Amino acid sequence: MMLVLDTGFRDLSRRSVEEVLDRQMVALIAATEPQPDGSYAPAMSNLDPWLETPRSGVYAQIHAQQHEWRSPSSAGLKIDFGRPLQQGQRNLAYSMVGFDRVAIESRGIQFEGSPENTNVLTFTVAVSLGPFEEQLWRFRQQLVGWFIGLMLALLVTLAALLHWVLAPARRLEREIHAVEEGRSERLGGGFPRELAGVARNLNALLAGERKRVARYRDTLGNLAHSLKTPLAVMRSSVHGAGAETVSVEIDRMSGIIEHQLKRAAASGGALFGQAPVDVAQVAAELRGTLVRVYAAKDLVIELAIAPGTQFIGDRGDLTELVGNLLDNACKWCRSRVRLAASADAGTDPRERLTLTVQDDGPGISAADRPRVLQRGARADEKVPGHGLGLAMVQDTVELYGGRLEIDTSPLGGARISLRLPGR
Amino acid sequence: MRALVVEDEAALRDSLKERLVAAGLTVDVARDGDEGLFAAMEYPLDVAIIDLGLPGLSGLEVIRRLRAARKAYPILILTARDNWQDKVEGLQAGADDYVVKPFQFEELLARLQALLRRAGGWATPELKCGPIVLDTRAQTVAVDGAPVELTTFEYRILEHLMLRAGDVISKAELTERLYDQDFERDSNVIEVMVGRLRRKLDPQDQLHPIETLRGRGYRFALPRDAGS
Repeated sequence: MMLVLDTGFRDLSRRSVEEVLDRQMVALIAATEPQPDGSYAPAMSNLDPWLETPRSGVYAQIHAQQHEWRSPSSAGLKIDFGRPLQQGQRNLAYSMVGFDRVAIESRGIQFEGSPENTNVLTFTVAVSLGPFEEQLWRFRQQLVGWFIGLMLALLVTLAALLHWVLAPARRLEREIHAVEEGRSERLGGGFPRELAGVARNLNALLAGERKRVARYRDTLGNLAHSLKTPLAVMRSSVHGAGAETVSVEIDRMSGIIEHQLKRAAASGGALFGQAPVDVAQVAAELRGTLVRVYAAKDLVIELAIAPGTQFIGDRGDLTELVGNLLDNACKWCRSRVRLAASADAGTDPRERLTLTVQDDGPGISAADRPRVLQRGARADEKVPGHGLGLAMVQDTVELYGGRLEIDTSPLGGARISLRLPGR
Repeated sequence: MRALVVEDEAALRDSLKERLVAAGLTVDVARDGDEGLFAAMEYPLDVAIIDLGLPGLSGLEVIRRLRAARKAYPILILTARDNWQDKVEGLQAGADDYVVKPFQFEELLARLQALLRRAGGWATPELKCGPIVLDTRAQTVAVDGAPVELTTFEYRILEHLMLRAGDVISKAELTERLYDQDFERDSNVIEVMVGRLRRKLDPQDQLHPIETLRGRGYRFALPRDAGS
């Protein structure tokens, strides 16, 4: 397009150069008269004043057999006006005058009143192309300017258009992100036709997934019930010799069932679109439960939970984690158990929630710490379920990509710290 | 002490009943939620043991309805699902404690006795009133440190009176709580037992641990020791 415009403009300017040449040529021919000495020269008064001004950019020459006339403007310049022409011949050429490009037109003309062939004159006019080239250059500059402007305008329009066209896609992305972070449970409506199907299918997928997990857990619960009730029957009906062995085996089976079912039931955050869980509420419910269960022990469970602290994940998982930790702490403490929770926005999203459970019991010695995290290991066989509970907590924390640490509490006993996804 | 066991698995139900009776309780049983709710509403119970996974009316629902009907005796949950959500729901519905299947019978009994003690306002397994000490775990009684030999039935009457020391307990209530429902009821038996208890606990007739309130019943009159 730019090339077409440029070529067009060049043609136009070439034609106007030719017109100027023609005009000068006609004026030169008209003004030329034979001189008394047999030569030919134009009457200066009828000519373009530029021909008289030295280095004006307009030059002329009249070539006769014996004489040559050159316009005063060409004084001191070395100009190649070309060879003499025959009658009727015409020539157009381009050449250099100094650093100036010029267009040169020559015509061979049989002057009137001179029948002999010898009177053929060659008129030559040269016009500097400087002004035209300057014009062309300016035109090109303008052209480039316009094109850049046009291009920018197009780009801006394109960007705006894309922005507008992709807005629903961005909204979809935002809503998926919200669902992912647990800020929302499903995608909203009002998407354009092209995306409405995607949103609908995603919602169906989310709902289906949630239902599937709920059914899965239900099934696991029923499985636990139908496996463990017979175990309870077996245990309550064995007496006498061998009862101890059977009892130990029943404990083992029961432990395996419990562990595997719990592992299977822990969603580990895979449940997409779960609403965030209010830590304070779960903690208060568990405290209510444990205070009643440990009513004989006269203990105090302190809760220090920053307002609005939320766990991003499954409510059942959080209840298991905190329940196991608090239960252990209640078992081991003398009288005090403390649960603290807070969220730290600055850290890794998977470790924003800090949960700490500590007690004033005997604590877990540094040597025992790796051992209590092994499945089935118990730091103290006198209090059942300690090891299994912590190993379960460890498993679930790992599913969420969090961390578990054991150290010593300022209260004197064990302090278990969990880092989990939250806010 | 009269207990109700609501459990759908027949073998477990029967064995629980057998061992609870052996431990000195009077036991009623029910096979499902509806039967359990009926029994729990109608019988004069001291404690109920309810399985959560019942056919028909769920265990949770039975507990909710009992509490809504202002039945205040302690309830122990049996659950196969060892997860905290279920325990929290059970206790929120109004249960007092839970035991996870498969349980050791001794653990269940210990928890049951703890619930009964707590319901009577006792914090420790030893009930102390002046010189008389009743150990609910060992089921022994001592006066001034000297053990007192009691028959099972005498022990059960004394335990019932001491758990609710200070309260007046009618003969009818004692009969109901200590006999099976189809047992021949004869209040004279209770009078005879209380008379024997008084002689065994207080041979010099100085302590007067059990008062008779004419037409109203009996009361364990010695004050509970502070801190127990």
